[in-house]
Amino acid sequence: MKLNRRSFLASSAAATAVMGTPMILRAQPSEYVVASSLPLTGPFATAGQLVSPALKMFEALVNEDGGIGGVPIRTTIEDSGYVPAKALANYQRALATEPNMVMYYGDSTGFMKLVAPELKGENATLMGSTSFASDLANPAENPYQYLPGPSYEDQVDILLQNIKDAGGTTVAFIFSNTEFGRDPIEHGRKRAEELGIKVVLEESTKPQGADIPTHVTKLAQSGAEHCILQGYVTGVWPQLIGGARQFGLPTQFHGTFWGMEKLIADRVTAEAGPFLSGYSGVMPYRYSYDSADAPAYQRYAAFQKKAFAGTPLENYMPTWGLQSLASLNLGIEALRRVANKGEEITADRAAEELAGISDFDMGGFFGGPVTMKDNKIGTGRVYTYDAETTLFTPSSDWLTV
Amino acid sequence: MGQIAQYAINGLMSGAIYALIAVGIVSVYKATKVVNFAHGYLIMFGAYFYYTFAVIFPGMDWAPAWLASWQPGWMTEMREGLTMFSPMGAVLDWAANLPRIVFGLAGALVCNAILGRIIERVLMRPLMGQSVFAMIMVTVGLISILSGGAQLIWTADADFVPTIAPNTPLRFEMFGTMIFLFGADLVNMVIALLMFGGIVLWVRYTKGGIAIRATAEDQSTAYSMGISVPKVFSRAWVLASTTGAIAGAILATRNGISPSLGLFGFSVLAIVLMGGLDSYVGVFIAAMSVGVLEAMTQWKMGGDWAEIVPYVTVLVVLIWRPHGLFGQKEVERI
Repeated sequence: MKLNRRSFLASSAAATAVMGTPMILRAQPSEYVVASSLPLTGPFATAGQLVSPALKMFEALVNEDGGIGGVPIRTTIEDSGYVPAKALANYQRALATEPNMVMYYGDSTGFMKLVAPELKGENATLMGSTSFASDLANPAENPYQYLPGPSYEDQVDILLQNIKDAGGTTVAFIFSNTEFGRDPIEHGRKRAEELGIKVVLEESTKPQGADIPTHVTKLAQSGAEHCILQGYVTGVWPQLIGGARQFGLPTQFHGTFWGMEKLIADRVTAEAGPFLSGYSGVMPYRYSYDSADAPAYQRYAAFQKKAFAGTPLENYMPTWGLQSLASLNLGIEALRRVANKGEEITADRAAEELAGISDFDMGGFFGGPVTMKDNKIGTGRVYTYDAETTLFTPSSDWLTV
Repeated sequence: MGQIAQYAINGLMSGAIYALIAVGIVSVYKATKVVNFAHGYLIMFGAYFYYTFAVIFPGMDWAPAWLASWQPGWMTEMREGLTMFSPMGAVLDWAANLPRIVFGLAGALVCNAILGRIIERVLMRPLMGQSVFAMIMVTVGLISILSGGAQLIWTADADFVPTIAPNTPLRFEMFGTMIFLFGADLVNMVIALLMFGGIVLWVRYTKGGIAIRATAEDQSTAYSMGISVPKVFSRAWVLASTTGAIAGAILATRNGISPSLGLFGFSVLAIVLMGGLDSYVGVFIAAMSVGVLEAMTQWKMGGDWAEIVPYVTVLVVLIWRPHGLFGQKEVERI
């Protein structure tokens, strides 16, 4: 064969293909695994069972978009019962049985703190979760864990600022006696002092089955104009507000992310009356029905209509599902950035890319492009519930702390 | 003083619910010597049955409209212009729900009684004559069956149920302080106390009650005296299930429906131990004491302490009296 420029280039390309293909095949697995622990049973099973289908939707849509660098993803979901030790066992099992696991989604502050010391060397994995605990946004100590929104401390900051702007002078903190409940209280006390708002009551309650009459009596005695509720999901917060209204208290109630679910507010309204009207709180994301400026939400809605017909998810994505989707989207973005550079996916590279996410368009989850700062996105907006329309509607601009 | 009265009444209201939950545990123990660890989950089933008959069924297409909301013309006229928590407004809201509340309570009582009967017949009776420990372990296993079963039937979705009594706010002055009470909680307390009193009287003065007491004393002697011990077992489980159904319905009105309702049984176990496993009176005093102590601790020391102080008291009582306040001291004869 006569060797000229054309035949040389063709032979070189063929040789590269023959020698290079096995290397690529070796470097790229047939799938990447995104494993998770969710509370499918136990006290927060309501949330876990609503989030679980969202993860499967996420898997389908990511794969529609080419997965991670052309490799499809597979999600796995295991029940934690909201017990951190069980979630840790789930994580360890996933580490042992899923060699291509590139991301993990945890279900509680307790689990995230428990697993943090283990995220080292080969055991490290990029890890999002359902928690907005302030301690988890600490890249210096733990670069692999992140928050897909503002921490509880940030959320309380937003609420206190809003109270201050509305001319409020006194506030009560009512919180569940859990890690989740106590998380922002000390910080909130300091912030309130800085803003010149007097904290007239700090009341901790049981996370379920709280003694409502006693708590409401104490709230009445405190004379608080505003009350921030923290550390509840499906119960206690509606009963506290209902009790206070029965008592005739004019106190304005505010919540953080986990107390802002429309499904719960609607069910309370349907069964006990419209007393939640005026209840407001911080939401990092748009509600799913506010999809005009959110192309990602429109895509989810089309999928939900088809895949979840006849379930509560057919026409509405709970806030808890949105949080999981936001968290997983951020993680996938970091993993894709690693893959797009042609590098092997490792937890360190993923964490580095995650920390570098800046002015990123999330498709409408937030008010605009977002930036990861200290492994969290400190953005949120205050929404207020209207029992007549049964909608949470914005009552502030998007605020960044 | 007025403040003390306010928190004491709040505590008594919680205590009455504890007592109603505890009465089921004591009844089963008295008749069978089995500590029913699954009682909280029996209560949870009662709550879910109440939810089924008071919320799910009335909302179905086949159900008559009056079952979901009874709105005769005169009531609609009276309701106009009344605010939500005005005394009359609250009564009328409750009256509109009355058909489904009654339907819910009746359904919960019947279904939970059947459930109690099935548990006794299928799981407990075959173990009669075996070690009591084996039966206790069956109740531990029952926790998983009942909690898993509830999630399969009703899913883990949280929901809310209508209050059993009008949620009218009550205000009155005591020792110069305005006392505030929730109407529904007060009626719940009265229901719990009436049921508790009724059961104590039934056990003391009726043939069936005397049979339970005799079986509690000595099963073999009771048998030889012609008492049908299996029937006593069955009656005790049905009693525990039906009181559990009412306790469950009351808990659901206070906390909403969710799988976490099953956990209430565990906190009440400590109260039962404090009162004495086989003493209705002891358990009543313990339940009221823990309720008041919780409310007082919450008032003066906050929620973190409120979870601890009453149970430290339980421990102290048990160190002082290992069989509880009024529990029967057992003498082992060799």
